[in-house]
Amino acid sequence: MNVAEALLVFAGIPLAIVVVLALLTLKPGANRRPRYKPGQAWDHAPLWFEPHPAHAPGGGHGGGETAAIGSSVYGERHGSDATATHAVSGGQSHGSSSTAHAAQPAGPLGGARGTW
Amino acid sequence: MTRALEVDSHDTATATTAAARTDESSIEDVFTYKELARLDEALTMSSRETGLRFTLYVGELRTPTRSHAEELHARSGAHPSDAVLIALSPGQRVVEVVTGAGAARRLPDRACALAVLSMTSSFGNGDIVGGIVNGLRQLSDQAGHPASLRH
Repeated sequence: MNVAEALLVFAGIPLAIVVVLALLTLKPGANRRPRYKPGQAWDHAPLWFEPHPAHAPGGGHGGGETAAIGSSVYGERHGSDATATHAVSGGQSHGSSSTAHAAQPAGPLGGARGTW
Repeated sequence: MTRALEVDSHDTATATTAAARTDESSIEDVFTYKELARLDEALTMSSRETGLRFTLYVGELRTPTRSHAEELHARSGAHPSDAVLIALSPGQRVVEVVTGAGAARRLPDRACALAVLSMTSSFGNGDIVGGIVNGLRQLSDQAGHPASLRH
């Protein structure tokens, strides 16, 4: 084995393997969104998700009735739009929506808060 | 070499008109459709199982975040007393759970704190959707079935 062959085997092959692995790690990230990392800024518009209304009261399972599954996501609106959005999301008649969606007192509120 | 014409319009907003739809940020930028489906199922199933109304807010919260979350909770539906709001602000790294008076009877603050703890540990790892889904699962397990659905 001369010098050129030795270089090829002991430097060329490891280098080729490293390059292949490096390319494999870089490739799938090219078309994917950046994943959220703690501490990153969140510069998306606010979103408000809400559950689908149950069609039959008390009829969650059985009966073979399938409820449509789709994403019920509403962008959070501000100002006068807010009433309109939540009138839709609350599933109320338009007549009562203006009074009902002015902030109602819900009694003593509970809950918890966390940071990370 | 010919190029296809660019058909998307950009920067077309004027003083009186909104930006083009192509310039609006799409929901897909925030969550993938798979993640949206998970969120949707978690919210819907936990609301159906418990009879409470779980809603989820993801976005910036005004400081103090607690009072903004309570404001949002008051607007979260027809019966805010039975509503549970999970307000999450990844930018500020804060999550608030707000329960109405009726919901708080079945979801004591301790149970909420436990759910918040498991959520924040997922959020700390960068797993927003997984944290929300697990938190919802814990909250709905704790709340159980309403008396009207018991057989």
